Amino acid sequence: MLEARGISKTYRSGASEVVALQDVDLSVQGGEFVSLVGPSGCGKTTLLRIIDGLTPASGGAIIFDGTPLTGVSREMAFVFQDINLLPWRSVVENVEIGLEGRGIAKDERRQRALETLRLVGLETVATRPPYTLSGGMQQRVGVARALAIQPKVLLMDEPFVHLDNFTRETLQIELAKLWRRLGLTIIFVTHDVDEAIFLSDRIALFRSSPGRITEVATVGLRHPRWEFNVRADPRAIELREHIIDALQVRQSVLV
Amino acid sequence: MTARAAPAWWGNAAFLTSFVFLIAAWQLSGLFLNKIFISTPSAIVTAFAEILGDGTLIRKFADSALDMGVGIVIASVLGIGLGVLMGRSPRMERAFEPIVNFANATPTIALLPLMEIWFGLGMAARVSFIVIISVWTLLINTLTGIKNVRAGHRDVARSFGMTRIQATRSVYVPAAMPFILAGLRIALAQAAVGMILSGQEIGEFGLGGLTQQYATFYQTAHLIATILSSTALAMLAFAALRIYQAMRHPWIAATAAGRR
Repeated sequence: MLEARGISKTYRSGASEVVALQDVDLSVQGGEFVSLVGPSGCGKTTLLRIIDGLTPASGGAIIFDGTPLTGVSREMAFVFQDINLLPWRSVVENVEIGLEGRGIAKDERRQRALETLRLVGLETVATRPPYTLSGGMQQRVGVARALAIQPKVLLMDEPFVHLDNFTRETLQIELAKLWRRLGLTIIFVTHDVDEAIFLSDRIALFRSSPGRITEVATVGLRHPRWEFNVRADPRAIELREHIIDALQVRQSVLV
Repeated sequence: MTARAAPAWWGNAAFLTSFVFLIAAWQLSGLFLNKIFISTPSAIVTAFAEILGDGTLIRKFADSALDMGVGIVIASVLGIGLGVLMGRSPRMERAFEPIVNFANATPTIALLPLMEIWFGLGMAARVSFIVIISVWTLLINTLTGIKNVRAGHRDVARSFGMTRIQATRSVYVPAAMPFILAGLRIALAQAAVGMILSGQEIGEFGLGGLTQQYATFYQTAHLIATILSSTALAMLAFAALRIYQAMRHPWIAATAAGRR
């Protein structure tokens, strides 16, 4: 359904060239949950932005349902690490942004935004300014804003990284439920291996300098995963060990 | 031993004490100094009551307020409009930037006689001068605001498929609002200068004309009463702007600290 073919990205930094991504291939099936995992600066966010069309690639192509993409895709929606809600708009007006971009009339816009807010349990705060909400609620609004345009693919860039542990685990379960209920395809960037194992069907492992995918691991645990203790599952433990070895986390410890 | 913060009323009490002391000293100075120089508070209050009573002050105040109001509205439309255009279009920015720099560097007061030549001795000349003195601040602040929209907010506009016009209206202009309102605050002070100056020079009009008149006849008490009235006019404009910001853009104050 979605395919990244030979994606590369080079930045010019003064006189030198930085290779952010080198010849990255990734293919994602419809309805699949794929995580991109790797150390900071390995290019996983860059790949996500290239898939959305926010950043142009230096080489390669993004193929969506058989067609190469140019510019920002209407079938995909982005959930930002910094959430980026607009403080001058109320919660529901923030959720309407993508519908505004699609030229949908005001009344329908409001109705669909409210429905989407109900989906994430936030219909009661619809008229409040976003900065009065907790971090977890703000990111739920970020998710609602993306879901409001009824995208086929949800692109999530470390959406839970600024949240505390309890909130993060709650939102992980909510996301897993939404994913199953709505039949979404999700590409999810994280550097949290446990988060990736809990949520994903497959995990693409990144290495840096130059940024590249070294392996795509299949998780192979049954869904729904909130019904059992994933962390204690032998398969999950083994997979986590494997991923940490593959990312060479231990080799990079300096002292 | 730890120092405690002074209670809240302390600052007010200190201000009131120094204010009363200053006024008293000023009044007493009238016993020793020539009253033509700084007059005395009691004489100023008397003069104020007199020109308020005979309607002079209200008429001149209204005249000046109209000049300043029309001037600042025109300056806002031009300055904010062109600032947004330049901020959103590199071609527009390249075309206008040299002109803006040139105009901003020109001492505006030098243009006052030119306004007289162009527009005669009436309201058109005065308002033009008020526009010219305040428009650059508005333009430059708006441009700066548009250029400083957070990358994250720009990403939102792009990722959610907004057209250039939608993004300008729904993201860029509101995001630039703190800069635009800060520019408007400075522009109002500049417009007040323009209001007095053009009133003095062009047809002895409004509060500026009144200061000119009183100065000619050494009516210092009346002059100071008029100066304080023009201060009051500018402060009223500032207050209106503050109320507008608090009512229509409460997010600016609410997110000012620790905005991400």
